[in-house]
Amino acid sequence: MKATQLADLLSKGDRVAVSNITGRESSMVTIVSHRYCGNIVGGWALGKGGQTIEYEPGKTIPVFATFDELLKSLPAKKHPNKVIVYSPPEAVYGEVKEVVSFGKKHIKTIFIITEHVAIEVTAKIASLAREAGIDVIGCNTLGMINTYDGVRVGAVGGDNPGESFKKGSAAIISNSGNMVTTMATYLMSAGIGTSFGLSTGKDALILTPLKDLLALADKDRHTRIIVLYIEPGGLYEKEAVDLLKRAKNAKPVIVYVAGKILETQNVSLGHAGAVVEGAFTTASAKMQLFDDYFGVEAFDPQKRYEHTPKLRQALLRGIRIQTLHTLPQAASLVYRVCEWERDFSPHETLQLNPWFVNLGELGKKLPAPLILTPGKIAEPYATQFASLAERKLGKMATQRSMRNASYASGNDGQAASIYGYAVADLMQRGNFAEALILQWLGELPQHAFEARLVEMCLIASLSNGPGTISAQAAKLSASAGNSPHTGMIAALASVGDVHGGNGREAIEYLLKVFGSTDLVDPYNPKASSVNLESLVLQEAEAFKTRKAIAQESGTGYIKIPCLGHPVFKDKDVNFDPREEAIYAYLQEQGLYNIFLDFYRRLAQTMKHIGATSKVLAVNVDAAIACIWLGICWKLLKDRRITLKRAIDIPLVAFALGRAAGAAGEFLDHHDHGTDMDMRVPAAECEILTKPRDLAPAGKKAGRSRV
Amino acid sequence: MQQITELTFLTQLAKRSKLPTPEYAVTPLDRKALKGLLDTWQKAVVKPDILAGKKGKAGLVKVVDDPARALQEINRLLNADFGGKIPRTVYLTRYIPAELEIYTAITYNSSFLGPSLTLSLKGGMDIETVEDTYKRTIPVDVYKGLDAYQASQILSDLQCPKKIVSAFSRCLVNFWDFFITSGMRMCEINPWRVTPAGEFYVCDFKAVPDESNFKAGNLAITFPEYPETITPFEEEMKELAASSYQGQLHISDLHGDLILPILFGGGASTIITETLCTCGGSPIFLSDFGGNPTYERMRQATAVCFKHHLKKAALLLILGGKANNTLIDVTFQAIGDALTHYVEEHGPVFLPVVIGRGGPRLAKGLMIMKEIMETLKLPYVIFGYDTPVTLVAEYAARLAKAFAPMRKP
Repeated sequence: MKATQLADLLSKGDRVAVSNITGRESSMVTIVSHRYCGNIVGGWALGKGGQTIEYEPGKTIPVFATFDELLKSLPAKKHPNKVIVYSPPEAVYGEVKEVVSFGKKHIKTIFIITEHVAIEVTAKIASLAREAGIDVIGCNTLGMINTYDGVRVGAVGGDNPGESFKKGSAAIISNSGNMVTTMATYLMSAGIGTSFGLSTGKDALILTPLKDLLALADKDRHTRIIVLYIEPGGLYEKEAVDLLKRAKNAKPVIVYVAGKILETQNVSLGHAGAVVEGAFTTASAKMQLFDDYFGVEAFDPQKRYEHTPKLRQALLRGIRIQTLHTLPQAASLVYRVCEWERDFSPHETLQLNPWFVNLGELGKKLPAPLILTPGKIAEPYATQFASLAERKLGKMATQRSMRNASYASGNDGQAASIYGYAVADLMQRGNFAEALILQWLGELPQHAFEARLVEMCLIASLSNGPGTISAQAAKLSASAGNSPHTGMIAALASVGDVHGGNGREAIEYLLKVFGSTDLVDPYNPKASSVNLESLVLQEAEAFKTRKAIAQESGTGYIKIPCLGHPVFKDKDVNFDPREEAIYAYLQEQGLYNIFLDFYRRLAQTMKHIGATSKVLAVNVDAAIACIWLGICWKLLKDRRITLKRAIDIPLVAFALGRAAGAAGEFLDHHDHGTDMDMRVPAAECEILTKPRDLAPAGKKAGRSRV
Repeated sequence: MQQITELTFLTQLAKRSKLPTPEYAVTPLDRKALKGLLDTWQKAVVKPDILAGKKGKAGLVKVVDDPARALQEINRLLNADFGGKIPRTVYLTRYIPAELEIYTAITYNSSFLGPSLTLSLKGGMDIETVEDTYKRTIPVDVYKGLDAYQASQILSDLQCPKKIVSAFSRCLVNFWDFFITSGMRMCEINPWRVTPAGEFYVCDFKAVPDESNFKAGNLAITFPEYPETITPFEEEMKELAASSYQGQLHISDLHGDLILPILFGGGASTIITETLCTCGGSPIFLSDFGGNPTYERMRQATAVCFKHHLKKAALLLILGGKANNTLIDVTFQAIGDALTHYVEEHGPVFLPVVIGRGGPRLAKGLMIMKEIMETLKLPYVIFGYDTPVTLVAEYAARLAKAFAPMRKP
């Protein structure tokens, strides 16, 4: 090995370059690592040169096409001395060859994260790196962390390395990446922190053998004990124990050997190299090797250890643990017997600490010791849960790559489908509104009248006369000689927050009002204990207060969305006829919608308490929002759709209807209008800016003519 | 790991290997056919096609010289059970008279961090029982390969009869060529039989291909199905695992009957499974779904697990250590969706669910699971990263044992 101490593998000031930096895994880990310690100087990915990885708003890591280009482009002081390889298995050999051939002078260590690298390739990398004097960790390592220097490579410590790794005296070397972090967390409960955490990987060939790593840890000034997680396969432990036996004053080792199951069951373990292939490679043989070296039996948490010189001598060599969660106790024993100070005050003892329990009826049938009660949730998780628990409605969606994937539609080469239903079957049923509800919400309507109401909303959205902004946009487009679909696009482009988009705000408002109630069925006024009258009064009073404060201070105030209309506004009691039609239909059919009832009552009450001078019209946007929220409510309660989706739907519902209406406006204009007839004559346009002279090129701009 | 047996080698690989092999015939063979073979060969070796353990087929093979005896041996082997392993078929090879047997193996060696050749003139024996004086292991340069000079040195060192050194060195070079060009992880010939005339024959063969090496894939070997070697569940998961490298999808059937374990992390899955076994949790299989699998991959994998095993399980265990890069919300949403889908398809299920995890986006992930458990009305206990996985596994084993008698048939 080139390194002579663990810090040579990773320390502060190291400059790390990342191969295949734009990959799913690597970009994510790179961002966290760079935020944690800022040691990434750049990366490369074939065909991606010129891109960047944004790790904080406005701050980026450069991406080059090749490693050679990275070296040529970065200033000398930023030349990497460490490389981390995230390339796919078939590309790993090529990447390492390029690093060795161009970066031999600079690169000291290569960390290969990639899994499933062929053993032949791993052997070739070992040979190549040996010749070039470069140390290789991996393949299939998770990386490494140097706690004292606060730096890491790879994903050790996950998205919050500081949570698991506190400065301390244990060096963790593990065949499993996950166990590095897990064991560091366990040790903290004994008041023992970490100096280094290193994942060796557990492929058939581990390119930095345990004996070499132990020698490096022995020379590290912060490290007092070495904690090992070991699996079957390979002679690494045999060689390591031989080394320990020869060494004088080697540091104590606490070891956990997993994988004895291979000896009793015909199974294969998760790591490719965890395979029994001869003497000293089984878990039992490795346990025996360590036990023989330590001179003390494996740690027994029930046993009372007498502090004898013999025990001290043994523990100075180390001890094996049989169960992972006894690691803190075993480590405590070593520190106690050796009379060493802990690194910090011990955290809480490791024990069963359930965060959530609901055994329901089963709880009544189980023996008492099995019935657990919720324990203390650690921060910041307690706060995060509290915030998530406040949300009573809507599904918590997880984000992931949806490239080439869709819940909304499918086509198996034979037939198209919408949320699993064949389009042909939906066509047979012949109800567009029903199919639309399915397409937008993923479920067919729960009540037949919902489809009818959606149709009414679509019709209501078609047109409100040629003077509306969206109709004007369609007419402008026709006048300019565009195609019909461009006219529709022009109309859609003119739909905005104050024209057609106000329904989103209405939904947000309704969710705020009803979100904390126990409303189950918005179509049944008696099915919940919602006191509508009180809600209405509360909202009306709140509005009145807001308005009064604003009038006094001369500032603006938050209005109730979708109350009032620029056309339907002059009577004492105003109605939007489209909303009226929907309301009338509900009345005729003996149907009810609590949201629409709320809006209507609110308009009345606002006038009644003097918050408004007239009864404002509940406009069509409000009606559309109320109808769609009625349809969405059960799905929100059952957490089958997200709140975001419910909020967006009134806008898309209006836009769909209006796009169809705009097509009508376009076709009409196209048939009867003349080219450019929408152009406003120059004489009708008012010039608000006075003319100014533009100076000839090269001379200073003149002053404007007054 | 797949294993290439002698019969698979003889039928599919021997011709491309330049390794001298005896003639062979595969059963069923009638008395007339056997007579014809024995008339030509004089003697034959009757062998079972079986996934051999460390000791190879030692003790299982029989030399025969008449058709009646041959038939008797064939029938015996076809109906035999060798420590739970049942022969797939029985075959015969021509008997090679020998004055010397040689052991050879090429494998990747953790001490040399590269390939190595092991050779012993005490062939036909378990190599681990052969004293060090009689065997040699030498490193082979992965770039340069094994040359005849290097091979002859090791033979001379073992005091191999001089008359065969040169010819056998060439055999060893061919052996290396086969190993490296076929992308093997390990190849063992035990024994080579050396005839009095100085001819060499591969008289037993075992190899393990490196599934990550494209050369092994290019061989397009059809691996025969051995009785009870792979369950339909393992088969389906294997197919799914091979479809992508994004995240681990490793399972191994344990034939337990209590706990259905969805486990994360190579190390964690091992120690959790061992804890479950020790505590009587009887895990149905061993699983490792770490390495940040995508939503789709995780959902498909758990759907396969549920399809095969949920009905009989007494507890669903979803457990891993503190993840470094696996997104908890994505993987848990995928598991929850697979479970919901299962219930939609097969009707309600009732069994306790124990969950334990740590890592990125933990709160959202656990909340997703909690909500799904509430919706499906499943009893649950959820642990965070501060409870050790081994303690959770112990608890899960106790809970599964308590619930097992309450299961509906």
